[in-house]
Formats: sequence, C-alpha cells, structure tokens
Amino acid sequence: MNFNALLNHRIIIKSLLNISEKMGLLTILKKMKQKEKEMRLLMLGLDNAGKTTILKKFNGEDISTISPTLGFNIKTLEHRGFNLNIWDVGGQKSLRSYWKNYFESTDGLVWVVDSADKRRLSDCKAELHSLLLEERLSGATLMVFANKQDLPGALSATEIKQILELDSITTHHWLILGCSAVTGDNLLEGVDWTIDDIASRIFTAD
Amino acid sequence: MSTDLAKKKKGGGFLSRKTQPTKENCADIQPDDVLMFTAPTEDYLCDIDANIYGIEFVRFKLRDVEQEMTLFEVARPSDSSEVSAADEGDSNLNKGRFVRYQFTPDFLKLRTVGATVDFIVGDKEVKDFRMIERHYFQDKLLKSFDFHFGFVMPNSQNSVEQIYEFPALKSSEIKKMVAHPFETKSDSFYFVGNQLVMHNKAEYSYSG
Repeated sequence: MNFNALLNHRIIIKSLLNISEKMGLLTILKKMKQKEKEMRLLMLGLDNAGKTTILKKFNGEDISTISPTLGFNIKTLEHRGFNLNIWDVGGQKSLRSYWKNYFESTDGLVWVVDSADKRRLSDCKAELHSLLLEERLSGATLMVFANKQDLPGALSATEIKQILELDSITTHHWLILGCSAVTGDNLLEGVDWTIDDIASRIFTAD
Repeated sequence: MSTDLAKKKKGGGFLSRKTQPTKENCADIQPDDVLMFTAPTEDYLCDIDANIYGIEFVRFKLRDVEQEMTLFEVARPSDSSEVSAADEGDSNLNKGRFVRYQFTPDFLKLRTVGATVDFIVGDKEVKDFRMIERHYFQDKLLKSFDFHFGFVMPNSQNSVEQIYEFPALKSSEIKKMVAHPFETKSDSFYFVGNQLVMHNKAEYSYSG
C-alpha cells in the first residue's frame, strides 16, 4: 500500500465522518485501515538534537559514527504489527526550509530537543510552535523527546516542557519524555505512546 | 538458461521488445508497468544519462537485525572487492548499474534483514522520487519493494533502511537457489515524477 493510496483512504474516512453517521460503512472503512496499519513518523528538531542517534539506537544500530544529516534518513520497519516509516530530516538552519516537503501524510511528529543546549531553547521553541501551525501537520500526534538526559547539566523534561510552553498546545495530542539516545532510555516508551495515540485516532474513528 | 529466455520472449510487451535503450523509451515506462513485470527485463529500460539529477548510490549495507551484525557493506570509493562489475558486452556503458553479490547459503536462512542504501543527489531538487525493486528467482517474483521518497533536497546525502522479514522460502526453494548461482536477480527502477531516471540490475549467488 503506498502513501497516496493511504492518504486517499484517510481523506475518505475524514469526509465520511463529516457528512455521515452511517455506522455500517464506517465499520468497513475502519477495517480497511486496520489491515494496512501503516504509520508515518516525522522526526524534526534543531541540528545536533540527536534525531539520527535516536533513530539508529531505536533500531539497534551502532551509534558511534554519526555525522550531521545533510538530507534525510528513513527507516521502514515493523513494530508491534504496524509498518512504521520513520523520517529523520536534517535540522541545520539551511535545511529547515525543506521540512515542509515532508509534512504530507505525517501521523506523528517527533520533536527532538537537546536538553543540554540551553542557549538554543528559544530557537527550539519558536521552530516547534511554527510547525504546530502547519495545516498538513494538524492531525499529527506530537511526541517531544527531551534528549541527552545522560549529560550533566541537561534540563529535565519538566523544565523543557515549561520553556517550550507545551501546556499552551491545545491543537495536538502531545507528550514529553526525558530520554537518552545514547543509553536508549525511554525511546521505546516514546515511540509506543506515539503509536498508541495515532492508532486510537486513526484506526478507531470514534 | 535457454528455457528461461524462451519463457521471457513469450511474455510479450516490454520484456520482448528488443530495445537499444533511449530516452524515448524512458518516457514510455511508468511505475505501473514495472510493477506488473513477472521476470527480469532483458535490457535496461533507460539510458544511463536519463539520470539528469545526478543521483548516485554511495553505500550499500545489509545487516542481520536479530544478531546485530553487519553481513555486507560496500561504500564508494574504497573496498569494491566484494562487488564485481559485470562483464557485459557494453560494460563501459553499464558500469555501475549492474552488480553481482556472492553470499553463503546461510544467508537464505536469515529472518530479519536491514538493507541500507545511501545516495547523493546533484544541485537540482528531486520531486516525487520513487524506487521500485523487483526480486526474482528463475522468473518467479520473490519480493517487490515500492517506496516513495517524495522530495529530495539538492546536494543532499540521504539514507534509507528497509528492515524486513526475509521471504519465507521452502527448503526445496533454498536448495534450488543455492544450486543455481546468479539466477536470483533483481531490477531496481527509479522514477522522478513518473519518469524513469535509473534502472539498475543485480544478480545473487548463495553458493558461498
């Protein structure tokens, strides 16, 4: 099943929800969607936040030689019966204008924060909040990883939550977790929460 | 081998059309066409200079995900010893788009494999990039990948890893594949906005 077909199904489901309450048809569509079980996660954040390291660690790859991403890294994998497409797109300032090319069909936005880089947290907050205004991301679940908790001086997830003003977000389901891409701490928990939240929104069109 | 060729000929359509690949042929071939192929093509379906975006593959890696072990890795420019360029008639023209892989029989018993490809693109942005890869053994389709990259940034280096369950093979099939080196083949088609820009081929041996 390709992205376009998947997108079409979603559009059909959305429009049916808008125009009709016919349960029979919805049940059939729900089943169609469940069979596919494909999810697209888009991982963004400032450069050096640890997006690629998270991606590699999550997939059991060596993380000793990671260089700045000057494009994208994609992993397609099966996790808990879902086909995940995880997109990690480079976060350097010169690349951020390209982010919009990857919004389409995104089910989950994974925002990665370098919790030890206090100097750039205001930059980080501005980029995140501008993404949340994007229409093509309006249906996406937001997972915030307060990464690098293994570093001394890293701010806690609670502190990051306050600085990024996550409590002001009412447009998206969101969660913040402290994590470490180096130790792997909380990566699975974060991905699993994201998947659960997406699944509850998409696969059971309540 | 001769029976294979005979079978292909009977197939008709693209496969039997004897082409000296040209840009005009490229314009004809759509993703839906290659998704219906039931055997490796006899020829390349596009010219080597159809690749106007400077898309180049710079690394290929296979790993056993369960054992966390790299099985095979080749990167440009060093270490090309594991990949031998094909000795085809027009080897100069096709150099770089045909490779032969030599694996041991154990390879066919792997369960979860991660296949990583790194590629770079030139200074033009690439829109609607799509890869379709078809794997066959003796004209039986083993696996078909269809992946939409979508947008690719200009002057970027990108990587994609497909982690997948190896197709379940019967032990009789494994025996046959081991006994017939290089009869496991793949065609990789790369489209930009439904225009075929690259076509690569590979052959695989599992006889060790």
